[in-house]
Amino acid sequence: MTAAQFEARVAANTRLGGGYFSLELEAEEPTPVAAARPGQFVMLRGAWGRELLNPRAFSVLHAEGKRLTILAKAYGQGTRRMWALRPGEPMTVTGPLGVGFPDPDPEITDLLVAGGVGLPPLHMQARVAAAAGLAGKQELFYGGRDREDLVLLADFERWGVAATLATEDGSVGVRGYVTTALAPRLEQARAAGERVRVLSCGPTPMLVAVRQIGLAHEVQTLLCLEENMACGFGVCLGCAVPVHGVKPYRYCCTDGPVFDARELRWP
Amino acid sequence: MSGAPRTSGPALVPGLLPHTVELGCEFGPLLLKSPLLAASGCFAYGQQFAAFTDLRALGGLSTKGISPLPRHGNPLPRICETAAGMLNSIGLENVGVEAFVRDKLPFLRDLGISVWVNFFGTDFATYIECARLLGGAPGVDVLEMNISCPNIKQGGIEFGTVPEVAHRLTRACVEVSGAPIVVKLTPNAGDIVGMADAVRQAGAMGVSLINTITGMAIDVRSRRPRIATTYGGLSGPAIKPIALRMVHQVATALPGLPICGMGGVLSGEDALEFLMAGAGCVQIGTANFAEPGAVQRITAELRALMAELGLRRVADAVASLRPWPLEAAYQTPAAGEFST
Repeated sequence: MTAAQFEARVAANTRLGGGYFSLELEAEEPTPVAAARPGQFVMLRGAWGRELLNPRAFSVLHAEGKRLTILAKAYGQGTRRMWALRPGEPMTVTGPLGVGFPDPDPEITDLLVAGGVGLPPLHMQARVAAAAGLAGKQELFYGGRDREDLVLLADFERWGVAATLATEDGSVGVRGYVTTALAPRLEQARAAGERVRVLSCGPTPMLVAVRQIGLAHEVQTLLCLEENMACGFGVCLGCAVPVHGVKPYRYCCTDGPVFDARELRWP
Repeated sequence: MSGAPRTSGPALVPGLLPHTVELGCEFGPLLLKSPLLAASGCFAYGQQFAAFTDLRALGGLSTKGISPLPRHGNPLPRICETAAGMLNSIGLENVGVEAFVRDKLPFLRDLGISVWVNFFGTDFATYIECARLLGGAPGVDVLEMNISCPNIKQGGIEFGTVPEVAHRLTRACVEVSGAPIVVKLTPNAGDIVGMADAVRQAGAMGVSLINTITGMAIDVRSRRPRIATTYGGLSGPAIKPIALRMVHQVATALPGLPICGMGGVLSGEDALEFLMAGAGCVQIGTANFAEPGAVQRITAELRALMAELGLRRVADAVASLRPWPLEAAYQTPAAGEFST
């Protein structure tokens, strides 16, 4: 469905700890964002006057009818203001934007590798798969600094999606990076002749590691990237992503945010 | 002088009904449907906006800057937000003349709005080549000659800052272009009036004021510049006072030279400020990123504000700035003349 810009109001702003919050917005009528696929995103801007000009990009966590929800972490000037939003306050939404992950496939197991606030596209992938009766073909690998970095775990449990957790401080799951658990799982799949692919979203250093592991195991690896963007629809050209090919760059907003790991001109 | 009025405000004017305000206006030889255009670099080649808004409601648009050959642009990060503005160093990425004329121009031509094609070269020969090819292409109403982009390394600086060089370059392009040329000047020039006069004398139809101002931002945690090229062009409301000042300076010094004003216009009131300062039309840039319907909203706001102020035509607003009164009562007394 074509993207649109529309006004919405905060329906709920739920603080999840560690600065994380899920922000639910409601528009006057059903919005095109309801058709968003996992990995697609919206640009959000509050009544920020002239100080903060540009909207912020967020993966859609969930959307249905008039409502849409995003997950964010209070970090910069925009997200700190959003963290403090109260029900009824206005937001301008543009979306759905970008190209998301492929549909869940009954023949392929999706290994969902999430880091911190990179969870939403993988959360939606698992939701879509569960609704299609494919929860058994989804496995979550979720990492963060500490216990508070791992949110919305109950949803995966409810959907019946297996989860491997990792924290840098060891407070939940295995101690260390979530990527540590990925390579053995790919070895296991290779030995068993199981078809798998890696879908990942999170901080760039994590994505670099996921890409290297995926490429080394010759498994399709799809990475959902984040870049600074002013518009989100292919005009500002700020969100260039270095790629191999005829042209040195593609755009996170219109060509992505999901890119095949092989395509990226990354370390 | 306690009895003197502090201001002599505008006489109360009977408000107009908004639909009676005539936004159609002249800009040099052009007839514009509205004085508000989308600015170069902030509107790509127009197509992306068609999904969001009716492009025919624009007075016109200025395309992304076109060079003879395609350019891939600068490394990333290319943009960052700053207080009331943003820095960019996109690096003039564009599809090149040939692909522009073949793939992008027909769409723009069919919109029935004023099509300004922004262009640049890296030396005299490439500027002239661009002016010849684009200035002769059907559907091009104006060539907006960019001699002011801060984001290319080769040669760009003296084109935009040395009046004699700008004069020679403009003259050479005017000679080969079938379309009128409006030269987009940089606020980084030391003498903006001298630059405007130099290109005017070389045959430019008008000037666009202003391009971005060179700036910088730093991420103290990584200790790196926030954009890869260290310096970038600052745009947005942060630069509006500077842009207004330059429009006013040029309009005052060179009356009759058409000026397209721009710099941080987010509202109808901003646009009206530019008209009053002396701009004949106004471009809207950074606002389009957050709001693809920005030009339409600002047009409606401008119409309403002109109606409220009794300004029936754009020409009633252009260069209509009133000076502060010169009566002695308003002047600072000489030292010693004033005592309490």
